[in-house]
Amino acid sequence: MQDCWVVLALCWLGQLCNLRPQIANPKLATNNPTFTTIALEKPFCMFDGLQSPSSSFAVYLYAMVDSAISNDKPLNTTFQDTSGGQLGPYKAASFNVPNCASPPKIADVANVKKISEVLEQYLFRVGDDVTCLYDPNFPDVCNPPLAEDTTYRFKYLLVDVVAGIVKEQTLWSDPMKTKRLKQSSTIDTWPGRRSGGMIVITSILSTLMFFLVVGFLASIFFTVITRAELTTTKCQTPFE
Amino acid sequence: MAKGDTGVRFFQGLLILGNVIIGMCGIALTAECIFFVSDQQTLYPLLEATNNDDIYGAAWIGIFVGFALFNLSVLGIIGVIKSHRTMLLAYIILMLITYGFEVASCITAATHRDFFTPNLFLKQMLEKYQNLEPANNDDKWMSEGVTRTWDRLMLQNQCCGVNGPSDWQNYRSVFRNRNSDSEFPWPRQCCVMDVQGIPVDLDGCKLGVSGYYNDKGCYDIISGPMDRHAWGVAWFGFAILCWTVIFKS
Repeated sequence: MQDCWVVLALCWLGQLCNLRPQIANPKLATNNPTFTTIALEKPFCMFDGLQSPSSSFAVYLYAMVDSAISNDKPLNTTFQDTSGGQLGPYKAASFNVPNCASPPKIADVANVKKISEVLEQYLFRVGDDVTCLYDPNFPDVCNPPLAEDTTYRFKYLLVDVVAGIVKEQTLWSDPMKTKRLKQSSTIDTWPGRRSGGMIVITSILSTLMFFLVVGFLASIFFTVITRAELTTTKCQTPFE
Repeated sequence: MAKGDTGVRFFQGLLILGNVIIGMCGIALTAECIFFVSDQQTLYPLLEATNNDDIYGAAWIGIFVGFALFNLSVLGIIGVIKSHRTMLLAYIILMLITYGFEVASCITAATHRDFFTPNLFLKQMLEKYQNLEPANNDDKWMSEGVTRTWDRLMLQNQCCGVNGPSDWQNYRSVFRNRNSDSEFPWPRQCCVMDVQGIPVDLDGCKLGVSGYYNDKGCYDIISGPMDRHAWGVAWFGFAILCWTVIFKS
């Protein structure tokens, strides 16, 4: 009993134990959460020592909106039953118990041949299946897209598939929020302050243009005046 | 003007030299503007879709001004050699007009250059990329141009979006409405492709695993050439004008 309290206290302080679902390593999956999906780390070594060899086990993943109340629902509650997790937890996935003895190595994702295997073993993406909602004959657990800008919580259950009973469960995860999209119309395209180059070019060229025109007009003016004077004085010297 | 015969000769030689330099500058300006207008990077559709391609206008003016400068310098040289008064007067007036045009071209290029902000291209990309329901034919033409240009840009340059792939994730866009988020967090062109043009690992690309998607933005590739050319049109024009002024006075 005391051990349990210590573990709980540690969990409370620094989340040293993995007794609740965790979001996938952000260094691995940089695009997470997105606007309709959240990728979770599979429950490695959470259900150690609970599986008796005589029976077969599976891990069920449940999801619900943060504001929903976690009440007792049948194990097979679907997305539609709870209107997307708003009325309570729904079953989002069922997969084999991850192998605690040889967990996938994150470093292996750099290897093109191993990446799909590593991703498959390491994480589960909630909201991945776009089509299953509209397929009446979909046989498996349907995992439709989540709602945007909504906070979700997740929970893993260890289920004895043969007996159909829950052997163990994790705590509800910390709230995880899907992304909110900004409107493209809010993007401001105004360039803001003008560059120095533009100001220099515009001002200097305008000034030069002004002086040139003034100079040209002045020279014409003086030519005409000089001509007029020359003609009035009847001076025949050619203008050079 | 000059006292001795050598003085006149010296002055004439100076004028001819100046005209030769102006003529060469004119040719160079024409060449530069032609290079800009020929649009080596095929970025024109992006500019066209902003409804403001002033910088191309500036470059076109630059082509003709460069050519005019060259012709005028020939006229000037002949005028100086023959000491023909009318010819020189025509030279000065035409030079003044050409100068006015080049001032316009230069200022336009410099001003328009300031408008090439990442946001300008970002907004346009979000609103026009894959837009199959354009408002009118003009819009359709622009959307197709933008889609084509972006597809090619991202694939060829291994870049994604204007600032990076997150552009497709942070904003609502035509692309977002047309494609599911889980399947297409960003266009397929953002994925690292193998030699056959198939994403190396699609799931890795969708999740944003580094090495399986292109995480740099395309802004530098778009603005780089445009900025450089606009800079050339503006400052080279400016230099020519300054030289012309110094030489004339």
